[in-house]
Amino acid sequence: MSSEVLSVILLTLQVATVSTLVVLLPATVLGYVLARYEFPGKNVLSALVGLPLVLPPTAVGFLLLRLFAVDGPLGRETLGFDLNILLTWKGAVIATATMSLPLVARTAKATFEGINPRLELMAHTLGHGRLATFFQYSLPMARRGLLGAVILGFTRAMGEFGATITIAGNIPGQTQTIASAIFSAQQVGAQARADFFMLVAIVLGFLAILSAELLGHSRALPGLARP
Amino acid sequence: MTSVPPTHDNRRAGSLDGLTVQVRLPLDRFELNIDLHTEKHVTGIFGVSGAGKTSLLETICGVRRQARGMIALGEETWLDSDRGVFVKPSQRHIGYVPQDGLLFPHKDVRHNLLAGRKRGVRRGHPVRQTFETVVHILELGPLLERSVHALSGGERQRVALGRALCSGPRLLLLDEPFASLDVALRRKLLPFLRRVRAEFQIPMLFVSHDPLEVQALCDDLIVLRDGMIISHGDPRAVLTASHIFPLAEQHGFENILPCYAVEGGGSTGQVRLGEGGDAERAPVELVTLRSEAQPGEALLAGIPAHDIMLATQRPEGLSARNVLLARITQLRSAGPVELATAELSPHLPPLTVEVTEKSFVELGLRVGSEVFLVIKATSCRLYRMGESRRT
Repeated sequence: MSSEVLSVILLTLQVATVSTLVVLLPATVLGYVLARYEFPGKNVLSALVGLPLVLPPTAVGFLLLRLFAVDGPLGRETLGFDLNILLTWKGAVIATATMSLPLVARTAKATFEGINPRLELMAHTLGHGRLATFFQYSLPMARRGLLGAVILGFTRAMGEFGATITIAGNIPGQTQTIASAIFSAQQVGAQARADFFMLVAIVLGFLAILSAELLGHSRALPGLARP
Repeated sequence: MTSVPPTHDNRRAGSLDGLTVQVRLPLDRFELNIDLHTEKHVTGIFGVSGAGKTSLLETICGVRRQARGMIALGEETWLDSDRGVFVKPSQRHIGYVPQDGLLFPHKDVRHNLLAGRKRGVRRGHPVRQTFETVVHILELGPLLERSVHALSGGERQRVALGRALCSGPRLLLLDEPFASLDVALRRKLLPFLRRVRAEFQIPMLFVSHDPLEVQALCDDLIVLRDGMIISHGDPRAVLTASHIFPLAEQHGFENILPCYAVEGGGSTGQVRLGEGGDAERAPVELVTLRSEAQPGEALLAGIPAHDIMLATQRPEGLSARNVLLARITQLRSAGPVELATAELSPHLPPLTVEVTEKSFVELGLRVGSEVFLVIKATSCRLYRMGESRRT
């Protein structure tokens, strides 16, 4: 395997990993808030969170592009310095994070909704405050669903194409991921290269989904945590 | 179940904190409007479903934040809306045992029991010691390392009870802890509650609509209807009051009498009513079906009010094994039936007997009449409490 091919795979994994880590905390908190609290504007917030799921990825990418453009709200002229987002791997992280956040947040929400809220009230009556209850009870009870959400977010990030290419481009060795490598190879008729990356995508995707499936049926999981 | 590890500061005899609850809380169909003060060890809360029993417990816990009024235990005030006092549920030192156990699925039995450990330690409660006592009296030793998914219904409720106790609570709230179990299993769990009661000098509120449980455990009873207390007092007197008696109609009212087993003859069993002491001077014995009880073992005898016949003369040629002389101390009607309270001896709790209005008139019953209570051996239920005879 040439180092160029390897760098595409490693970059894809790097972008997906960092993006998943970035998304994890806000998505979990959002999911919890949407599952547990009632407040004005909750529906609007819920719709906004879900928006990237239904928009064309290129629209999301273009929105980000406008945001980080030189004269955009987060651009060099406004901030006075350059965040160095456009056409870098950081741009790819922002694009994939934006696209996978709704998926992770919604899965987290469904997971928390599946946990009896009276268990949390029980933790309160046993002397645990809100934060302690969240970290010692809600999160551990949700961990199976949250792990599934993380895997889903990771696979979404690995496969993201439209938003990433719009903001980060498709620069071999810098911002080219498996998705954009297949696209480029197909455009120039490099059949073998496209075939190879397609296979890599299938194997990685399959492993991720398989581990989510195994996790869903794992009997060992409920007893994992020993405080 | 006689030997128990050394007891601890829970056992400060006679120093129970009084509980005051004066609250209002709007519910769907009515307003919960409670004015309660009790200094008794175990206070029962009785009432048909939807009467506001669970809402009352949740208000005391502090999870119903809309409640207005005053809640205090001893010197500690948990709610005083006029002065803007609201103590968070996590700071109220309450042990709550719900109907459905609510065990934490991510912890094994041991760590469920210890879930409230930190609070207990903060309060200076000897958690270690309580843990050992709880494991002992609730017989949880073999379950400690199990996952809560592997527990039966009765085991889950015992763990839930133990978890509440291990948090070192100042008040124990039991919300029909056995309601989700079948009757046979409920009867088996009753002795555990009796042990908790004997071991822990903590005030308890116990929601139940089982007359047996109420009489076996409670020193005081309130009855709720549509969010209001409609009766409050001695459990037996409250349950057999005209307007409360019909509420127990589902299972019917059962007279519960403490007794202990004596040597029986062959195919039947025999118990002596009372708990020893004064009742011994004029012993009243009851023939029952044969039971597993050892002579001397303390039991509860249950005799349904509708299974007792009244006779003005000693009947003869009768298959019933028990014909007991008694004196009528009270008569009243309760819906379609008449209720007679009959005293076997001044040292024993009186029995309530159900008769039709016709019999009532024909027999010419009045307060002070001497009557014979006719009770079949098969109508006498015996409940074993796993306790030896008290002396």
